[in-house]
Amino acid sequence: MDIYIFYGLSILMIFSSIMVLVSKKGIHSLLYLIFSFFTLAGHYVLLNAQFLAVVHIIVYAGAIMVLFLFSVMLLNLNVESEVPKSLYARLAAVVASGLLLVTLISALKGFDISSTKPIHLSQIGTVENLGKILYSDYLLPFEIASVLFISAMVGAVMLGRKELNF
Amino acid sequence: MNTIIILTILAIVVLLLGISSKKQWLVPAIFIGLLLALVGNFLPQLLPASKTVHMLSVDSISKPFTSLMLVLTFLIFLIADHYFVVKKKTVEDVYAIILFSLIGAVILTMFTNMVMFFIGLEIMSVSLYILAGSKKTSSRSNEAAMKYFLMGTFSTGVLLLGITLIYGATGSFDLAQIGTLISSGNVMPSYLKAGILLLTIGVLFKIGAVPFHFWVPDVYHGAPTLITTYMATVVKIAGVVAFYRLYSQSFMGAKDMWTTLMAVMAVATIFVGNLSALHQDRVKRMLAYSSIAHTGYLMLALVAFDHKSVSYLFYYMVAYSVATIGVFSTLMLVRENIKEGTYSMFEGLAKRNSFLSFGMAVSLISLTGLPPLAGFMAKYLVFVQAINEGYLWLTIAAIIGTAISVVYYFRIIVAMYMKTPSDVKITLTTRSRVLLSLFILLTIALGVYPDMILNLCWCGM
Repeated sequence: MDIYIFYGLSILMIFSSIMVLVSKKGIHSLLYLIFSFFTLAGHYVLLNAQFLAVVHIIVYAGAIMVLFLFSVMLLNLNVESEVPKSLYARLAAVVASGLLLVTLISALKGFDISSTKPIHLSQIGTVENLGKILYSDYLLPFEIASVLFISAMVGAVMLGRKELNF
Repeated sequence: MNTIIILTILAIVVLLLGISSKKQWLVPAIFIGLLLALVGNFLPQLLPASKTVHMLSVDSISKPFTSLMLVLTFLIFLIADHYFVVKKKTVEDVYAIILFSLIGAVILTMFTNMVMFFIGLEIMSVSLYILAGSKKTSSRSNEAAMKYFLMGTFSTGVLLLGITLIYGATGSFDLAQIGTLISSGNVMPSYLKAGILLLTIGVLFKIGAVPFHFWVPDVYHGAPTLITTYMATVVKIAGVVAFYRLYSQSFMGAKDMWTTLMAVMAVATIFVGNLSALHQDRVKRMLAYSSIAHTGYLMLALVAFDHKSVSYLFYYMVAYSVATIGVFSTLMLVRENIKEGTYSMFEGLAKRNSFLSFGMAVSLISLTGLPPLAGFMAKYLVFVQAINEGYLWLTIAAIIGTAISVVYYFRIIVAMYMKTPSDVKITLTTRSRVLLSLFILLTIALGVYPDMILNLCWCGM
């Protein structure tokens, strides 16, 4: 049963990710992106990471994508205003990302899925277990992340403020 | 760990001083704080090691490099004081963000865990994206920040994918555990190699190695010169040390896989850096490409790896950073009088201010790597190390690269000493004189007595 859900979600996810790139209109791309986030959340649920799934939807599909939608609408992006890219740049991008794809596929090709031992712990992704890990083993990175946030906040204020006497 | 705590407190104190009316205390407070952090680096740790053992380790690698970064930041703040008083009214935000990014850089010298590595890298990079755009009225600075941000976050994504694949293959974030697993000889999942490859790409992007160097000239050129100085010295050191820690602790077992790759990229970095520097009109862009070339020499030391390479790396970093700060501080002093950034601003500098041009010449010759200056010993040690490890072809390529670099470094020296001067005289403040003398003395002294640094690194701190 799990395996069918997995393949269904994966196909939907790959489809919507491709549609993000192919869509002509910015809004359509964004809606497909939200859809692919939801399918990713589905994968998290399959892996017993319920908390992560919920947070993923709240943060990405909720907060960040709404921000994206607003900025796309306010900036009024459309095909005409897009700067045309040269054929050379397109070709280079296709070759580069194609090479990355080949590398990843070849890395995964010889891999025998049955050799992994899946850990079936139904409790592994609950808030309780996550909290315990976060406040014991990973306490230090958790606290030091606050330096990252304060730096980003100070920077946002600095960049957003009007510079009167430069 | 002491250093991180002291620096965090210092950055917050700086922000608070900015709100209060006592702004004259800003720079003295930073100096005191940095000195305290330097002392704290060598004192016993405040936090018991049991709390941090799987995340950070203050060891013989981290101590010298952290000290070097603190001293360099101290020197940069000595210049910064003057630089920003001329250009900007509020400085506490920029100062605080420089200190925040320093915290990230310090973490990068002492992490023992992939999670810590990622957080350190992000603290450093996010602060740098902001700093690159801190000159808000300049469109070049905005462009630099935007470019650095977009490319930097993309490379972070690649790096994270790498960490994920490594975690999937080994089941651990701990560097030592990953190291034992890889070198144990067990058959590892095939995607471990892909993980190491992607991680390498992410780190190489941060230190600006070819072919991930395209952001370097634009960002170094667009960012305020002081921030460029910081990026070319402290940030580069942090990146290379992080690289060293990752590879020496975790990926030694997979050495066959990445040494050839790294060797080829080192040669590419040396040649692309040096050859592109030849074609630049603007001094800052030239220096950006020259810093790419120096990344290549540093990668040489990473490829030809044995237990001694850490002290050679350290010596190279000291020599390179002192010379780079010397060059950039001269550039800033000259730019105060002349707006354009081409080579012509150095024309006849020897007549306008002979001391300044002497300092510039010493730093440039040290960057080139001619005896008896520090740059020569640094390159010599790295090259000898590479030959001993059997990378003769790499060393020959690096020597050819050095020969090319003579051309563009000496273009400035020729302009300074052999061109007719413009009328503008440059007067130096006492502080600039003292600083320049310090750079000159250090560059010469380190070249003559390299043991000063090499023994320092070995005394088992």
